[in-house]
Amino acid sequence: MRETLDVDVLIVGGGPAGMSAALRLAQLQQQKGGEPLAIAVLEKAREAGAHMLSGAVLDPSALRDLIPDFEAKGAPLAAPVARDDVYFLTPSSKLRFPVTPPPMNNHGNYIISLNKLVKWLAGQVEEAGVDIFSGFAASEVLYEGERVVGVRTGDRGIGRHGEKKGTFEPGVDIKARVTIFCDGVRGNLTKSLIRTLALDEGRQPQLYAIGIKELWEVPQGRLAPGTVIHTMGYPLRHEEFGGAFIYAMPEGQISMGFVTGLDYKDPLFDPHMAYQRFKQHPFIADLLKDGTLVRYGAKALPEGGWYTVPRVHMDGALIAGDAAAFVNSMRIKGIHLAMRTGMLAADTAFEAVRADDTSKARLAAYQQRIDASSVRAELYPVRNVHQAFGYGLLPGLMYAGFSLVSRGWWVKDPMPSHAGYARMEKIVDYYSGSAPSPDVPSNAVKTDRTLTFDKLTNVHYSATRHIEDQPSHLIVHDTDVCRTRCREEYGNPCTRFCPANVYEMVDDGAGGKRLQINASNCVHCKTCDIMDPYQIIDWVPPEGGEGPSYENM
Amino acid sequence: MALGLEPDVILVVAEQKDGTLNRASWEAVAAAQQAGGDVKVVVAGGDVAGVAKELAAADVAEVVALQDAALAMYTPDGFVAALEALIAAEQPELVFFAHTYQTRDFAPKLAARLDRAIVVDVVGIKGSGGDRVYVRPVFQGKLSADVKAKGPAPHLVSVQIGAWRADAVKKGSGAPVREVAAGLDASTIRQQPEAPFKEARQAVDLSQAERIVAIGRGIKGQEHLAVAEGLARALGAEIAASRPICDAGWLPMDRQIGSSGQTVAPKLYVALGISGAIQHLVGMKGSRTIVAINKDPEAPIFEVADYGIAGDLFEIVPAMVAELQK
Amino acid sequence: MKIAVCIKQVVTREWQLRVNENKTWIRDSDASWEPNEPDAYALEEALRLKEKHGGEVIVVSAGPARVQQAIRDALARGADRALHIESDALAAADASAVADALAAALKDEQPDLVLTGLQSDDQGFGSVGVILAEKLGLPHATIIMEVDASSPTLRVKRELEAGWFQWVSMPMPAVLTIQSGINQLRYATLKGIMAAKKKEIRKVEAPAAAEAKQEVVAVYFPEKGKKTQMIGGSPAEAAAELVKKLREDAHAI
Repeated sequence: MRETLDVDVLIVGGGPAGMSAALRLAQLQQQKGGEPLAIAVLEKAREAGAHMLSGAVLDPSALRDLIPDFEAKGAPLAAPVARDDVYFLTPSSKLRFPVTPPPMNNHGNYIISLNKLVKWLAGQVEEAGVDIFSGFAASEVLYEGERVVGVRTGDRGIGRHGEKKGTFEPGVDIKARVTIFCDGVRGNLTKSLIRTLALDEGRQPQLYAIGIKELWEVPQGRLAPGTVIHTMGYPLRHEEFGGAFIYAMPEGQISMGFVTGLDYKDPLFDPHMAYQRFKQHPFIADLLKDGTLVRYGAKALPEGGWYTVPRVHMDGALIAGDAAAFVNSMRIKGIHLAMRTGMLAADTAFEAVRADDTSKARLAAYQQRIDASSVRAELYPVRNVHQAFGYGLLPGLMYAGFSLVSRGWWVKDPMPSHAGYARMEKIVDYYSGSAPSPDVPSNAVKTDRTLTFDKLTNVHYSATRHIEDQPSHLIVHDTDVCRTRCREEYGNPCTRFCPANVYEMVDDGAGGKRLQINASNCVHCKTCDIMDPYQIIDWVPPEGGEGPSYENM
Repeated sequence: MALGLEPDVILVVAEQKDGTLNRASWEAVAAAQQAGGDVKVVVAGGDVAGVAKELAAADVAEVVALQDAALAMYTPDGFVAALEALIAAEQPELVFFAHTYQTRDFAPKLAARLDRAIVVDVVGIKGSGGDRVYVRPVFQGKLSADVKAKGPAPHLVSVQIGAWRADAVKKGSGAPVREVAAGLDASTIRQQPEAPFKEARQAVDLSQAERIVAIGRGIKGQEHLAVAEGLARALGAEIAASRPICDAGWLPMDRQIGSSGQTVAPKLYVALGISGAIQHLVGMKGSRTIVAINKDPEAPIFEVADYGIAGDLFEIVPAMVAELQK
Repeated sequence: MKIAVCIKQVVTREWQLRVNENKTWIRDSDASWEPNEPDAYALEEALRLKEKHGGEVIVVSAGPARVQQAIRDALARGADRALHIESDALAAADASAVADALAAALKDEQPDLVLTGLQSDDQGFGSVGVILAEKLGLPHATIIMEVDASSPTLRVKRELEAGWFQWVSMPMPAVLTIQSGINQLRYATLKGIMAAKKKEIRKVEAPAAAEAKQEVVAVYFPEKGKKTQMIGGSPAEAAAELVKKLREDAHAI
């Protein structure tokens, strides 16, 4: 028997956007009184914050507006930013930018663990009386015609061949007058909303990057807490977008990560290998010497900016946070925008429910609020920056600098761009003349399991847990493509761009290869859904309560 | 009895079933002998004179056959009552057990009856007298803890199966055997046990196995499992596997060792064709003796192995079986 | 039937084990916590017995404020109410101290059955249930695979070594420690989670601490003292050498 639940506002996703929306709704309820709203937050992780991964340097402006006394309430801010450095790396040395480019200036910001911040926000939300249902993954949008009326959560207790186990529980139908989708980068429900309701009509193609992050503990005193370092250059080539971040927290904890644009041309490129190569650079190797790896994780980032944000209001629903790509890729910041849009969505939803009108027309007030807020003020001027990097590192840097003055103007506005997966070249084109093995990344390095790691060892440190006996949640729609066309054309890039060793091409016992999906390694980063050149991979949530455990990430 | 450097008397509680001595009892005797002082052994049951005589081969001060019709079948109520009385009479400083299922069933109750400390699952003893610490596994063997027993004597200690060697028992010239009637009031025994029976277990609890032979991808095919099973039989070991083997369905999931399977720390762990991914290592690196056989000399499994052979398991394992059968 | 289930909260399986500064326990000040998995099987058994025979299931847990999370989880799965013995010290106390506290909390409840898990995933004493039975003056049995409570005399199936089993009868009230894996753990439903917020968690005072019976003086990673001995030679030679070493040096066979 399928359970049903009726609420006024349903928030799908308990990250910074979702938690901010929930808290804001509770605050409005308190301020304005009236019939108490039934509010629920759905979070697929076992507990709030477990799937949260980010660098991160937080711009506290939204937090300050949401919870003015956040410091007194014990918001877990690891360290105020004390110094900001940007380096350009060559294979063996580094060049420091004499002046920190203004967008990278983090004065007044805080180094945080997003996992800890969201855990704390969840506490605030629960104290305000809002139910957070963690361990429940939303798997389907419920419609009545074109109107979104809620979501259905995933079934639990299904075996790997689709059979119902003794513990089977069907998913719950949660109906809401307004559903706020905060399901994160390449959120599976937002992806389906975009498809079904053509929310991306007239928008630029979305652009993404993958961020691979490690938390290290090094001897204290090596880097002063509050030190923020960003690097560009080695080991990436000019045709590859990305760079590293190193944030120093107290007690010798270092948050370090490598971001690679998911629009690289070389089909044999491996972002995880690029990160290992990066760690071998003397500057980094020295930093991590005698250190211990504590945690590992990965997540995609939406980089497209203002022109890639889909329509975020529709009958019965709104979209906030990373799911709608509210990220400032120039400042590399999105948490404050997630919080801000979550709050604006809450304002809109509250008013619509009270007015008993949750139609698209009414909910359009959300877009108006966004346009009038700091969100547009911040994102509009950098609307073409990431696209400029599509033309190369130098053009990107030049345009970025130019845009500071021109407030984002360009001769072609929006600047033309292409989806990242479509830019991956075929082996025959990229490697014209040679025939490299499809099973060896072009940037492979030997890992030593002390400083550098293979993916399988790294995945162990993500503390990812999935019940083995369940259907694979990575749905590859035609695995024949994998062993025939893809193997020949691109050399199975999923085996390289997945940072968790989920995809492997193994001998099929008949002289060829077949795709093996190690679904339980998945860290929910969404890279495969984004980067597969044939776009035949759909990431759907596994059983609720599963996935990585990003303590302090 | 003051807690001096060498304990005055250590009482070892041996275990028997239907007249057959549990081998683990010898290990408890060995542990007691190592700790020093006078060792006395007690074995409880209906008619255990024969078992007591067996135990008398050890170099101990005395063996007590603690007998009563009500002890013929084990019950916690019966055994605690009988041993409580004997301990009051003997006043030992320490009471040693082998950490068998039966011990787990009654020894903590005995300790609570006496209001005395009990340290269970001990793998080592360091120091003596007031400084004596017992080493025991915590977090399923991932860490070790040094523990002091506090409070007045006697302290109860149960030693992990295999932590001491049965053949390390010092033999004597035949200890005196004393029969003691436990004098129990059977009506105070609340448990009514039926006869034990054997049954094929639905799921295997590998954490109880003393020896394990584990298989990895190096076995190459389900048809080759027999090679590993042959070794397991020759060693009296349980079969286990790394995740890829269970994922492929070659062995059931309850045979899986590792972060998504069981954690074990047996006396002997033989890893065949297992590379040693960290997910597997965390499930078995607490094992006392680890043997690794893998074609790749750089396989990470060799980092945790006590003994390693970089070679072809399909040639080495049959040779091992032949050696074991000699 | 009134069934009391004693549950312990432990650090999650994924928590990276590192020794704390005093080297007397692990670092856990920032940890994530979960109910001890063996206790989950005890709870599931209790819920099934309630479904069969009617009655109520009471969850009891000793520990700091954070154990409320484990208690709510049990309530969400169907337990009716809970007792929380709030105490920081009991989180890492020895089995006797914990059993004392549980016995004091259960004194006035007069349950028909008290269930615990087989042992905890952290300390692994496997003793609390047995000591609790003594403190409550109740009969007990351990490592239980099956419970038949259909008559006033309880009949339970004990697991013995090496594939042997045994049925034992005893009068209720009684204490049982439940073997893991004997049943399939149910999920907490959405309605269950919502209902759990309204269920009673009664705070119980921890009894005055008696003298500790055990003291952990050090916690450390077991050292692999020996270096790996690689054995060479032909397969036959290596096999012979290995068996010899296992017999004579390692005494492993």
